[in-house]
Amino acid sequence: MEFFQRFAIPHPSPAIYASMVAIALVSIGIVVGLTYFKKWGYLWREWLTTVDHKKIGIMYLLSAILMLFRGGADAIMMRAQLATPEAKLLDAQHYNEIFTTHGVVMIIFMAMPFIFAFMNLIVPLQIGARDVAFPRLNALSFWLFFFGAMLFNISFVVGGSPDAGWTSYFPLAGNDFSTSVGTNYYMIAIQISGIGSLMTGINMITTILKMRAPGMKLMQMPMFTWSAFIANVIIVFAFPVLTVALIMGTTDRLFGTNFFTTGNGGMDMLWANFFWVWGHPEVYILILPAFGLYSEIISTFSSRNLYGYKSMVASMVIISLLSFLVWTHHFFTMGQGALTNSIFSITTMAISVPTGVKIFNWLFTMWKGKIRFTVPMLYSIGFIPLFVIGGVTGVMLAMSAADYQYHNTMFLVAHFHNAIIPGVVFAMLAGLTYYWPKFFGFMLNEKIGKSTFWLLSIGFVLAFFPMYITGLDGQARRMYTYSEATGFGPLNMVSFFGAGLMALGFVTIVWNIYYSFKNSPRDIGSDPWDARSLEWATHTPVPVYNFARMPQVNSSEAFWDSKKKGHQLFKGEYQEIHMPNNSGVPFVMSAIFFVAGFSFVFALWVPAVIALIGIFICMGLRSFELDHGYHIHVEEIEETEKKLGGAK
Amino acid sequence: MKELFPAKQVMGFVFSLVLTVVALLVYFTDMSFTVGMTVLLVTAFVQAFLQLVVFMHAGESKDGRSIYTTIFYGAIIAIVTVFGSLLILIWDM
Amino acid sequence: MKIDHSQPLEYSTDQNQLNILGFWIFLGAEIMLFATLFTAYFTLAGRTGSGPTPADMFEITPVLIETFVLLTSSFTIGLGIHAMRLGRKNAMLAFFGITLLLGLGFLGVEIYEFMHYYHIGATYQTSAFTSALMTTLGTHGAHVTLGLFWGTFIIIQVIKRGLTPQNANKAFIFSLYWHFLDVVWIFIFSFVYLKGMM
Repeated sequence: MEFFQRFAIPHPSPAIYASMVAIALVSIGIVVGLTYFKKWGYLWREWLTTVDHKKIGIMYLLSAILMLFRGGADAIMMRAQLATPEAKLLDAQHYNEIFTTHGVVMIIFMAMPFIFAFMNLIVPLQIGARDVAFPRLNALSFWLFFFGAMLFNISFVVGGSPDAGWTSYFPLAGNDFSTSVGTNYYMIAIQISGIGSLMTGINMITTILKMRAPGMKLMQMPMFTWSAFIANVIIVFAFPVLTVALIMGTTDRLFGTNFFTTGNGGMDMLWANFFWVWGHPEVYILILPAFGLYSEIISTFSSRNLYGYKSMVASMVIISLLSFLVWTHHFFTMGQGALTNSIFSITTMAISVPTGVKIFNWLFTMWKGKIRFTVPMLYSIGFIPLFVIGGVTGVMLAMSAADYQYHNTMFLVAHFHNAIIPGVVFAMLAGLTYYWPKFFGFMLNEKIGKSTFWLLSIGFVLAFFPMYITGLDGQARRMYTYSEATGFGPLNMVSFFGAGLMALGFVTIVWNIYYSFKNSPRDIGSDPWDARSLEWATHTPVPVYNFARMPQVNSSEAFWDSKKKGHQLFKGEYQEIHMPNNSGVPFVMSAIFFVAGFSFVFALWVPAVIALIGIFICMGLRSFELDHGYHIHVEEIEETEKKLGGAK
Repeated sequence: MKELFPAKQVMGFVFSLVLTVVALLVYFTDMSFTVGMTVLLVTAFVQAFLQLVVFMHAGESKDGRSIYTTIFYGAIIAIVTVFGSLLILIWDM
Repeated sequence: MKIDHSQPLEYSTDQNQLNILGFWIFLGAEIMLFATLFTAYFTLAGRTGSGPTPADMFEITPVLIETFVLLTSSFTIGLGIHAMRLGRKNAMLAFFGITLLLGLGFLGVEIYEFMHYYHIGATYQTSAFTSALMTTLGTHGAHVTLGLFWGTFIIIQVIKRGLTPQNANKAFIFSLYWHFLDVVWIFIFSFVYLKGMM
């Protein structure tokens, strides 16, 4: 019996039992649906085994939206609990689990796949490539992320969710204080998806360095590609730190090692140190691609080329280096000396300089431009003032002496949401609206889109600005309730109301997708926004080979030049195109990772060892496999091009 | 048979053996901690550079610049991480 | 598959060049992986709790054997690649075989060393120092072990399929991996062992 007790959740409540039933019903529904409509073969052939960067991008996109709602549900529950003093909606343990999963899901399983979605969808098209450098590895990256996310998400119905915060500081996260398997889930699920992220990093860097269209120099790459490149450089050097830290955390919990313990020489602060050596660069991994999207959108809808291209690139390169030099500002109050804190205060403030350069570049791009107020542009314009407020409060927090006042208060919570929501979430929604027609063949409704924007913006301000005030007044973060005497009640009620508006905003996105799918015209051509870079130069929807002929490039806006200045983008005859074969190995291997991960979480050593052997067998098979891909013949290309409406 | 042992790589091997022996002086002779660490730092980094250039042919293809940039960028961040962490957790604690 | 004969075999196709660059970037990530392990080790080396200190545990003889064996194997894999570029398949296979045997020898000594630690009462759990030491050495050792399997697979493929562009590419990338492990060992040798025994 004791064996099975581990799988029970530590704090059963009706909501969790309802979720269990819902998960079971949805799973049965999916299986029955797929069987009834005979879609298993389609699913396997077209999606589970695909190595096409566009399909992988779409799967990332769907997962990200799904996780957005999962993390959003957590957020609403937190705000509801805090809306009134001494509320009884959630108990302390349940609240701890919810703020932990909210953070992890939003950063690792929502924001990361969102940026990977855009990298996968856009980067090969923007540089005029047929696919990424390692298509098979790309599929493996996605499936590792996906199964990592699934492993993390089953935690709240099997064994209990992690409850030590998304930072999972030791000794709280150690065996003494976190007795459920929750933190095991944290360590292992993030590990699995982190391996996927690292591989994407390697893949994208190689793609961007080696597979650009003929003539495209590094300094002629579109800005989103540049931002993706820099973000991936940061991924490659930051994620190994997380890998090692998670391994140490795992062995501390499962094998009794003494890295972060409080006895036998262990040092709990080492975890905080490693976590933020990864964690701070992670912030820039998320924000730089968002900046890249804003650059594309602002330039397109201002009908002008991007102002200060070189300074944009230079500022990102500087950010990539500085992002590794500021991590201590997350724990100024940990007890290190004034010298260290001063050094990291200065580097932190320094990083706002290149960010400021970028803000001015966007403003100058809009200056004297013919601005079209489309939905993506609205997000970009809303982003600038809101993000500046987030940035300025960041500089306040950067002062280590003042940080003793702000640390662990709602002020901090307001600050980082103020940076991430207008910075990353708005960018993702802007990008979603902007690139939707390229991949789905119809536009999202502008009217609904605009109401989404206003709901989110107003909701955001109402939800988070009150926290600046309560935070300065001393409301601590991660506390599941507060007394009436504190006077925090009314402002927290405002926050709850704002969160409700945001939730409504996110629902309108789904409504918009459904509405536009039913009603939007399908004859939008391949360039509905009158855009500037190469991804719009091919057909909509994009054929499997992306470009029938390689585009010839001699500026950062080759497509614009071809439209306005008579630059000839496509030259020569069609030639046979070499494409990679689909493969089921990435899916199977990642599924085995899931089994291995689950077994480790519950310390089931026999299945764990069997699964690990399975993983090595997959790798061995890959080593011996001969896979030369296949060729698309010239006649086939001609036919496809004709069907899609004219040769490109 | 001789063509299988190119002079460059044989010299590289000999040099790496010499560096190892120099590093061993730290153990076999009586040095202060500072001198010892200096010797180790120099021999280790020279040795790593030797492997990179002589054995790994880092610069031979047209991607040589990308490769060197990757490795040096990684090395710089690695050094920052090691020494930054030591500063935070030990020297200034 | 277009083959460019002006290049060495391992660089001769586009995919081969991508693989080599991609692997170098992976090695960049590996630098950070080991840097993190070193950070943990340096931070925790003095925190021995009630367990043994570095000076109590380390012995010079096995460390010397490991170092010279691994250095030599790095030399022989370099010769293997040289032989491959000359098109001398058998010489290449011989050098690869010697390399893997040396790797096996290294691993044997390392296992002996771990057993020695166990006998003097230093286990994975004893103290922060032993945890960090064994994770650092163990990660390197695991890389070597993986390399032994990988190298064996490549030898089998070269024997079965000959010196094709794909196999040459795999062999070259394997050599990068092996040299890199040697570089990591140099740092372990210098800053774990010699510093600990100084």
